[in-house]
Amino acid sequence: MSPRTRLALLCLAGACLTVPIWKVAQALPPFGAPTGAYGPAVNALGPPLRHVSNMVSAVNFDFRGFDTLGEEFMLLCAVTGAVLLLRGTRGESLADKAGIIPGRPRERRADATILICRIFGPLTLVFGLYMALHATVTPGGGFQGGVVAASGLLMVYLGEGYETWRKLVRSRVLDVMEAGGALLFAMAGLSPMLTGAAFMQNVLPLGAFKDMLSGGLMLVENVGVGFAVAGGFAMLFLEFMEETRALKSETQE
Amino acid sequence: MLTQLIPLVVVGPMAIAAALLALAHVLPRYVPDVIAIATALGLSAFCGLLGAYALNHGPLTYWFGGWTPGRGVVLGIGFGVDPASAALAAFVGLLFAAAFVFAWGYFDEVHAHFHVLMLLFLAAMVGFCLTRDLFNLFVWFEVMSVSAFALTAYQLETPSLSGALNFTVTNSVAAFMMLGGVGLIYARAGVLDFEALGKVVAGAGHDPVIAGAFCLLAGALMIKGAILPFHFWLSDAHAVAPSPVSVIFSGAMVSVGLFALLKLALQVFGASADSRFLMHGLFIGLGCATSVVGGLMAWGQRHLKRMLAFSTIAHLGIMLIAVATLSATGVAGFLFYAVGHGLVKGALFMIMGILLATKASVDELDLKGLGKDIWPAGIAMGLGGLLLGGGPLGALDTGTRLVHAAAIAIGPLATAAIVLGSALTGAAVLRATGRIFLNLGPDPGDEAEAPSQKDQEKADRPLWLMLAPCLLLLLLAIVPVDGAKLIVARMAGVLASPRSADGAPPLPGTSLVLPCLSIGLAIIIALLDLFRERLPRPLVSATAGGTQIIFRGLKVLHSGLVGDYVVWIVIGLATFSIAFAFH
Amino acid sequence: MSVLPWLVAAWLFGVGVYGVATSRNFIHLIGCLSVCQSSTYVLLLSLGYRWKAVAPIFYDHPPGTLAVDPVVQALVLTDIVVGATITALLLAMALRVDAKHGTLDPQELRPLQGEGH
Repeated sequence: MSPRTRLALLCLAGACLTVPIWKVAQALPPFGAPTGAYGPAVNALGPPLRHVSNMVSAVNFDFRGFDTLGEEFMLLCAVTGAVLLLRGTRGESLADKAGIIPGRPRERRADATILICRIFGPLTLVFGLYMALHATVTPGGGFQGGVVAASGLLMVYLGEGYETWRKLVRSRVLDVMEAGGALLFAMAGLSPMLTGAAFMQNVLPLGAFKDMLSGGLMLVENVGVGFAVAGGFAMLFLEFMEETRALKSETQE
Repeated sequence: MLTQLIPLVVVGPMAIAAALLALAHVLPRYVPDVIAIATALGLSAFCGLLGAYALNHGPLTYWFGGWTPGRGVVLGIGFGVDPASAALAAFVGLLFAAAFVFAWGYFDEVHAHFHVLMLLFLAAMVGFCLTRDLFNLFVWFEVMSVSAFALTAYQLETPSLSGALNFTVTNSVAAFMMLGGVGLIYARAGVLDFEALGKVVAGAGHDPVIAGAFCLLAGALMIKGAILPFHFWLSDAHAVAPSPVSVIFSGAMVSVGLFALLKLALQVFGASADSRFLMHGLFIGLGCATSVVGGLMAWGQRHLKRMLAFSTIAHLGIMLIAVATLSATGVAGFLFYAVGHGLVKGALFMIMGILLATKASVDELDLKGLGKDIWPAGIAMGLGGLLLGGGPLGALDTGTRLVHAAAIAIGPLATAAIVLGSALTGAAVLRATGRIFLNLGPDPGDEAEAPSQKDQEKADRPLWLMLAPCLLLLLLAIVPVDGAKLIVARMAGVLASPRSADGAPPLPGTSLVLPCLSIGLAIIIALLDLFRERLPRPLVSATAGGTQIIFRGLKVLHSGLVGDYVVWIVIGLATFSIAFAFH
Repeated sequence: MSVLPWLVAAWLFGVGVYGVATSRNFIHLIGCLSVCQSSTYVLLLSLGYRWKAVAPIFYDHPPGTLAVDPVVQALVLTDIVVGATITALLLAMALRVDAKHGTLDPQELRPLQGEGH
């Protein structure tokens, strides 16, 4: 289709859809007055039954923990796929790829940048760890904490430069971290079955309300997810960074 | 005891995949293959066991996290193992095992990534079949999609990575539509379990929100199920994906998408007059159109994998007709058809893989006459073509006859579309078989200069290893299954109403007329194509003019541009909404 | 206006689809897909909102305080992970396409058709 035909058809179809969208919008419950019973039930049952104060984490890792397991493995798929795509044509061995490419200008990073990154990089890592561990108490969780921790690694790159960063961040370690985290999550779900309970049933001691170590099995799942997400995103960062090392002339057919 | 182990069907392959990934660097060469085959076979056997148990004792339900309903609101996620879902899951496992055997030694690097992705794909498909929670359905839909995206882009030397991009973009839009549908129905119902949702829908009457949710969910599942006008991505994806992956796409993934549509239409939206109106009206029309257009496009292809992709689209149209009738006959027909078609199409894609590995091409004209030394593959391909065209053997035939029986109530148009679609796809495969293996057909001459892809898959695998799973699938496809009709009728009944204890209605007897018509037409069309030169000139030029116009029009529409595909999706959605104006 | 969030969600989806359909650069297309995705976030989160209710975190407020729906927030969290992963995969594919074909224009890239008798 020519671009104009495409645009015309799109506008026509969009025009046809405006009336149904309006009707559906009018028929939905008014904004701010939801009618469902699921949300209030979770809010009412979460604290007494599971001793947690973060209801979103309770839904994610307990009530609907099975969904989160699927989502975690989807992350694994996507990272594996992206890594295969990027690493495949480049080749696996990093040994002959220099940390410093001859012929590229080496700009000196500003002292302020290095200082800020040296302070905030480790701080970000700790903050990510804090978020992941306090999943059941305050906003946050394994996913959020894992991503923050992985972005802490990027601050290390900004501060230290590519050579140092590559020495620090090893793809084998990240592989194991990612797969190990996912496996830990799956095991956390399977182990209650050994005691006769249902899959991912919260059989560990639930701890005290508002304490970091509350929620029982949720904490184990969060640790697994945190590792897996941090490993996965760090892997993505590593692979995309490596792309910048490969010179254009090497990758063009 | 058996019910306690239900989570293993999904979590087992996932945990094994994670373990494989963690140990990827230390495992010896063929260990991942063996583990993968064992997992798939074990899964298939276990699902079969579950299905048999469910058939005798009623559908099994498992609640994850121990959240059994009982506090007024269904709080947890459940798996509803009814016999039909378990049977389909068992079939999926079997197909994966065959694909793993076919892929033995395919991938050079030893890091087992292919097996990890395939095992996750398998787990997602089984979860997709068995779940009874709407958002869980979405999660497995996504895992299926993402692993499929990663597997499609796997073959890095392929000339057409843009096919993988088209696949990813269109299926992502499908995921967003599905999420929109989930949101809408959650707004109305406040719960996500199929049974609870069904009760809310039954009490809701004519509700625009529920109608809108159905449109979005149906649209998303029809994108996955490659129905017109959402079908464009399938041919691009197949042209790019490695053969073992194509086996799964055409053999299982797309049929499972339509199966989910069936489940939703029966269990969630069963009482909604709006959804019933759309299904009996527009969706049957779309199924007929898909069947005919898919058949025509398949007939006009010289790239064998794209030809098979279009033939899958045609057969999916037929499956949609069966689903859209929402009758017991239709559902039973769909189940037989999905399994039969999956077996045959899987076998045919394996033959494509053999051709790619041994002859380094999948272009029909390039391969003319080159198949003589791999003649067993030729016999298999011919058999596959006969079965696709309506040959009166096995599960596909039983399915077709049941679909015809269900379609008779609709009118002659549906019957004609089904016959035409099967005939054209069968003709395409038979023509290709004749040209490649028997050296029939006119000399290509100038047409051979037309651009085609130089494709190659890993060449040094033994022929018998590649042929064995292919022949096994074909053998299973021709096993007579008329005796199983009663069991499948019961499965269909349970699927429609999991709680009722009614006996299954008897399935109609079926005659041999339509299958013979279909296969006869297929053979005639194939022969006409191959022996074009021997026909009288005026006849050839008269028909050639007409067919050229149709083909040129269709090819312009199948442009390969992702922008076009997205516009067609919106047009499809608009069509749904326009259909409601006639309610 | 109590229908505004739903209309915003529909508008975002429409604009995103418009962007995908008329895009001339794959990176732009991936961004437009993100816009489509954010329409689902807006829809889901707005469905859970309740006037005069607090966040469903009972750290500062005692349990039993009126709170918004945590289920849709959990669904959106899953959705965000989905979006991030698909974006990463698409970007990797775009890099490969650029390396192979030298162009990132979706309108230039057609998978080889291969028809004809």
